[in-house]
Amino acid sequence: MKKSKPFTLLLHSIYMAENDLRQSFKSVRHVVWSLLFPIFMMFTFSFRYGTVGPDVSFMTFLIPGVVAMTAMFGSINETMSIVWDKSLGVFDRILAAPVSSTSIIIGKTMAGAVMGVISALVLLIIGSLFFGVSFANIGFVLIIIVLASFSFTGIGTIISGLASEPREAMMLSNLLRFPMMFLGGVFFPVEAMPMPLPYIARALPLTYATEALRAVMSGNMTVVLFDAIVLAIYTVGTVVIGSKTLMTIMTR
Amino acid sequence: MASESVIEISNLTKYYGKLLAVDQISFEVKHKELFGLLGPNGAGKTTTIRMICGMLRPTSGKIVVAGFDVSQKPEEVKRRIGLVPDISNLFGELSARTNLEFMGKLYGLDKGTRRERIDQVLELFHLKERQNDLVKYYSKGMHRRLTIAAALIHQPEILVMDEPTSGLDAQTARLVREIIIDLNNEGRTVLLTTHQIDEADKLCQRVGIIDRGHLIALNTPEELKNSIKGIHALEIKVLDGIDQQRWLPIISEAKGIERVFLAEGRIRVLSKDLPQVIPVVVNLIDKHGGKIENISVAQPTLEDAFINLTGKSIREEPVSKEDYLRRRLSRSGMR
Repeated sequence: MKKSKPFTLLLHSIYMAENDLRQSFKSVRHVVWSLLFPIFMMFTFSFRYGTVGPDVSFMTFLIPGVVAMTAMFGSINETMSIVWDKSLGVFDRILAAPVSSTSIIIGKTMAGAVMGVISALVLLIIGSLFFGVSFANIGFVLIIIVLASFSFTGIGTIISGLASEPREAMMLSNLLRFPMMFLGGVFFPVEAMPMPLPYIARALPLTYATEALRAVMSGNMTVVLFDAIVLAIYTVGTVVIGSKTLMTIMTR
Repeated sequence: MASESVIEISNLTKYYGKLLAVDQISFEVKHKELFGLLGPNGAGKTTTIRMICGMLRPTSGKIVVAGFDVSQKPEEVKRRIGLVPDISNLFGELSARTNLEFMGKLYGLDKGTRRERIDQVLELFHLKERQNDLVKYYSKGMHRRLTIAAALIHQPEILVMDEPTSGLDAQTARLVREIIIDLNNEGRTVLLTTHQIDEADKLCQRVGIIDRGHLIALNTPEELKNSIKGIHALEIKVLDGIDQQRWLPIISEAKGIERVFLAEGRIRVLSKDLPQVIPVVVNLIDKHGGKIENISVAQPTLEDAFINLTGKSIREEPVSKEDYLRRRLSRSGMR
C-alpha cells in the first residue's frame, strides 16, 4: 500500500501538472487566444515583407523568433494559474491535502514548460506548413524549445509568486513579456539595435532562444551550443528562485 | 474512547507580522464531538482552522491531531482531516467528477476506490445527474454540496468546516446543517466555525466563543446560556420605530441594565433585576416621546450570552480596518 517517497512525490507532481493543463485546455478560448497572437504576428509580418521572391529569407529569420516567443507566452500564461489558484482559494484545497510543497512546485513548473513546448510546436508546424521553413535538426530545436520553456516558466513562477492578485500578475508579466518580445531579437536583429539596447537584449533569455533556433536552421552548432548553455543556466536560476518564491507563500 | 481528545490545541498563537490574529488559544475537541468555534468575522477562526489543518505555521503553541503533532507530521494530519473551506474553491473549469477525481488522486486512492467513493458521494449529495457539468455552472448550493463531498473523498475521521452555511439561502443552509448532523452521527468528529449564534446553538455539542484572537468561553450551549443565569432579557418594540437604534443610548441611561442591543429589529435589554428596570425603561421611552408597541420578557439566548461576554453583538459589529486586515491575511496566499 505504502509507496516510496520519491515515487509519491513524482506522482503528485504529475497529477498537479495534469490538473493544471486539463483546465487550460478545457477553456479553449484561453489556448486559442494565446496562440492567435503569435500566429497573427507571423502572418502580418509575412504580408509586409512577402513570402516569395528575394524577401523570402525574412521568414526564415522571423519564424524561429516567433516560435521562441510563443514558448515564452505559453509558459508564462500557464504559470498565471498559480496566482489565480491563490486568489480563488484553490491553493488551499491542495495545501490541505497530504501533498508536499515540492510536488506542487514541480507540478506547476512541468505544466508551464509543457504549455510552452506545445505552443511553440504548434507555431513551428504552422511556420513550416505555410512558409516552408524547415529546421535541419529537429532534435536540437526540441532541446532549445524545452530549455527556453523551462526558463520562461521560472520567470512566470516568480511573477505569480510575488503578485498578490491576478491583475497585478498580468501587469507584471506584460511588463516583462512585451519589452522582451521587441528586444529579444524576434522581429529585429539584435545586431541592428542602437546602443545600449543590445546589452539589454543579451540579458534576456528570449534572445538566446531566438538566436539558437536560427542557428539550428543555418547549421551553426557552436552558437547553438553556447545558447543552450546560457538557457540552461537561466533555467536553473529562474526555476530555483521561482520555487523559493512559491515555497515562501506555501509555508508561512 | 468516547471522551478521548482528537484535536488538542495548547497556547496556540499566530502573528501576521505585528498583527496578533490568534492569542494563546487552548482547547480540545473530543472524539465524535460536534464542536463549534463561534465568533465575529476577523476573530481568528479561519486562522485557527488553517493552523489545525497544517496550512499555516503557528507562531507558537502546539496542535496535536489524532496523536500527530501538526508541525512534525503534517501529512499524517492532513490525511485524517477533511477540510470544507468557507468559499467554494473547486476548479471551475473542470467537471464535478474530474474535481473529485483529482482530490482522490492527491489522497492516494487507487482507481477502483476512487470510482467507488466518487459515485458514493455524488449519490449522497444528489449531484449524480450533473456530475459531468463544469463546476462553474453550478449554483451556490451545489457548490457547497460538492465542496463537502470533496472533503469526504478520503473518508476522514475528522471534518473541519469553515463557515459551512455562510452565504447560503435558508433552505440550502438547512440542508447543509442536516448533512453535518448526519456526518457527525456516522461517527465523524466535526469542528466547525460560525458567526451565526443560532447555528452554534442548534448544531454544536460544545461551543468555543472566540473574539479578537482570544477564546473567551467554552462550554455546551446550555451552560453558556446558564452563564447568564440571573440575567433576564426584555424585548421591546417602539411604535413607528423604524429606527429602533436611536433608543439604545436613551435606554442605556437606566440603572441596573447590563446590556442594550438590537436583535431582529427589537430592542433587547439584559438585566439582573427586571421588575426594577421595566418601569424605568417604560418611563424613559415615554419621556422621549416613544410609544411602546410591544414589551415582553424573553428567554435568554446564546446571543445574549455572547453579547454579555464580548460586550458586542455579532451581527451589527462594523468591520474595523484591523478586522478587515486580519480577515484578508487569514485568506490564502495573500501576504
